[in-house]
Amino acid sequence: MRATKYNSLSQLTAVMAGFAVTILLLESGALLTWADRLEVSPARNGAVRVTAALHKTLQPLGVEQVRKESLDGLDRLGWSDDPARLLAAREKSRLGVAGSNSPCMAAVHVPNTAVPKTVAPVVAGVPRLPPLKPLPPAAQGQTRVVALVGDSMMAVGLSDVLLRQTATDQNLRIVKAFRSGTGLARPDVFDWMQEYPAMIGDEKPDAVIVAIGANDGQGFVEDGKTLAFGSDAWVKVYQQRTTDFLNLLSENGAHVVWVGLPPMKAGAYNDRAAEINRIAYTVVSQNPLATWWNPQPYIGDETGGFRELETSPDGKTTRIRAADGIHLSDEGAALLAPALIGWLNPAPPPVTTAQVTPQEMPAVQASRHRRGARGRTARP
Amino acid sequence: MLFPTVEYALFFLAVLLVAWSLHRWNSAHKLFLLAASYVFYGFWNWSYVPLLFGISLVSGLVAQRIQASGSPRPRKLWLALGVVICLSTLGYYKYTAFFLTTVLNLWAHVARPPKMRIPEPLLPLGVSFFVFHAISLMMDAYRGKLKQRVRLSDALLYVAFFPQLIAGPILRASNFLPQLRASRNPNAIRVNRALLLIAAGLFKKVVISNLLATRLVEQVFAAPQTFSRGDVLLAIYGYAAQIYCDFSGYTDIAIGCAMLLGYRFPRNFNAPYTAASPQDFWRRWHISLSSWLRDYLYIPLGGSRGSAARTCVNLMITMLLGGLWHGAAWTFVIWGALHGFYLIVHRVWSGISWTPLVRFRQTTVWRWMARLLLFNAVCLGWVFFRSPSFEIAFAVLRRLAVPGAITLLSVPVAMALIAGLAGQFQPLRWRKALEFELGNWPAMARGAAFAAAIFGIELLGPSGVAPFIYFRF
Repeated sequence: MRATKYNSLSQLTAVMAGFAVTILLLESGALLTWADRLEVSPARNGAVRVTAALHKTLQPLGVEQVRKESLDGLDRLGWSDDPARLLAAREKSRLGVAGSNSPCMAAVHVPNTAVPKTVAPVVAGVPRLPPLKPLPPAAQGQTRVVALVGDSMMAVGLSDVLLRQTATDQNLRIVKAFRSGTGLARPDVFDWMQEYPAMIGDEKPDAVIVAIGANDGQGFVEDGKTLAFGSDAWVKVYQQRTTDFLNLLSENGAHVVWVGLPPMKAGAYNDRAAEINRIAYTVVSQNPLATWWNPQPYIGDETGGFRELETSPDGKTTRIRAADGIHLSDEGAALLAPALIGWLNPAPPPVTTAQVTPQEMPAVQASRHRRGARGRTARP
Repeated sequence: MLFPTVEYALFFLAVLLVAWSLHRWNSAHKLFLLAASYVFYGFWNWSYVPLLFGISLVSGLVAQRIQASGSPRPRKLWLALGVVICLSTLGYYKYTAFFLTTVLNLWAHVARPPKMRIPEPLLPLGVSFFVFHAISLMMDAYRGKLKQRVRLSDALLYVAFFPQLIAGPILRASNFLPQLRASRNPNAIRVNRALLLIAAGLFKKVVISNLLATRLVEQVFAAPQTFSRGDVLLAIYGYAAQIYCDFSGYTDIAIGCAMLLGYRFPRNFNAPYTAASPQDFWRRWHISLSSWLRDYLYIPLGGSRGSAARTCVNLMITMLLGGLWHGAAWTFVIWGALHGFYLIVHRVWSGISWTPLVRFRQTTVWRWMARLLLFNAVCLGWVFFRSPSFEIAFAVLRRLAVPGAITLLSVPVAMALIAGLAGQFQPLRWRKALEFELGNWPAMARGAAFAAAIFGIELLGPSGVAPFIYFRF
């Protein structure tokens, strides 16, 4: 047969048929996972039904075993970016045990929750400026281990600024435990109860700064039932997940600051964020080791609404939110950083620079930051 | 809808099926592709579909008016009107806040600036690309490059055609509109080339680019103060590989998808890091943008027709605006200025006609030295391009002087770095040989091999799909 550059439509059809059959054989399980992780909706339910039926039909052929073995092999090489999988692979290789169906569960210790399973009624509103008392000073010569935890609300902007501003402080050791596109609503997509212990590894944080919840304004399936966002059943489950997660963070006596979601640009999304904040505040305010902290006075407008630009008293204007109207820009994150670093109560710097305390008004903090950041430019 | 997702795969397979089943009826075929393109765009945000439609409509109508006008004056007026509308739209969405904050900040140096409400619209996805398409349509009509009368339906599809809608390549109306005139030929589909392009594009984006981003580049650029020379240098080279694989991967997929639908898109990248001069680099990097800037900006400014000084000014203006096109921030302007500077220096250097130097410039040793020099100069530009602020850019550069251990080098990172950079030196004949070899396989086997490649890419790629870097432009 002579090879040519061009093919006919019938050949294209045959190529696509070959592709479809092979990809279904190799990836039917992955397709089911994909459908399962879609945002809860009738379309998602339909996709789950179709892919589940395909998977059930094709699974007995055993082709998908190739996928599992390939993934296990890659995990052993340290290729995976999933901390829980990597930890499980290391554990397996250390113990020399044969493969388990649930490597994450095999490797990660998840503590029992300390708080009773009863859930408190969700508050109607959150306080505007709750106090953020500095932690007691660390013992002489002792390094304070701080975990930065959360979804993209931590990963974009806030973690960068906190890492930069604490980089030279020998008394603080930062542990990065954040992952964009995650949350507490969908443990089927990313299970923080499994991943957090794997992310921090052998570290035992004394302090945790967590910013999470931006992806949680969605329904989910619990015990086979679809729970719509904001329904009583949804709130109850979500509140319990938040409680469990907070207990995990504060295990070993770690102090936690839970950074609330800032005002969002899109109105409907902002309403959802407010609901998430009310639930988080309700949970956090019951834990003596944790403080819920409202970023709104620092980066919102006078009415508590969304604000994109910040004009300092000296007239300098900077963009404090990312172009998506959700995340913080570096300049926005820098408005929050002094209070959070003040809470960590690191050793005072050699030069007598006043630490920002939580009692200070946001405008004062903002102005201090801006003086330090003159000449910066913002990028969406 | 991102290319490396199941959603896009299902969408594209459905479009492929319906589009080819309508190929005998060209109008219905094009109408369907137009509807599919709006669905593709609406998947991100439906409220911006009217903007896309409006820009396409204006450019199509203006192109028609230009073609219908006999004398130069009304043609020029129509063109000016169309270009002003397009650039005002781009300016409003992309540059208003940047421009006003810059003015206010300059004002603040001399007096207290007035309080004003600055409009903060959400940046429409791919606005820079579809506005440039619209301008290309009107300019080509003005320059008489369109042999036939522009049909409105074709103009709409040209601007909104989904494979190139979000991040290019930037098509020329004079190349693409003739393709819309005739029905697609069902016996001339370049399937093998398309499959290779899509698989290569996915590998570059999902495996190399994402891996380098998550395990190397993001960590260093987030807090450069915490890393020393080795890691910082790795991250800078890593970003050079990441942005190439990200963007060229995207355009490979776009070109491959269009090819399966029977359309030809221009090549957008040609091993740019093998270039030995800045001029050569811009003939190989984002070719559709650099040729757009050359034809619609540099040449109208006078190009190299005037004095040497005037040519240098034209080069600098073109590159500064090219930098600003990438984003409304001064870091992008500096990136553009650096490239303008490189082009000017190269122009001066090339103009030296001292015989020993001319001979030396023709040697292999110099070619490799020039490649190395240029690559590092390009990487210096990438530092500003990647950094969210000058503070970070200079922190990155300062850390190059700080010795210390390399902590971020792992087997996956090393492999991705080598594949992303050294991969550009692979001979072109390898790809052609592979395409030829695939042509000998039965069609079903080719499909199966493509599926196996996708499977491998899915396994090797990090979890989650990071957006393409060029989406935000």
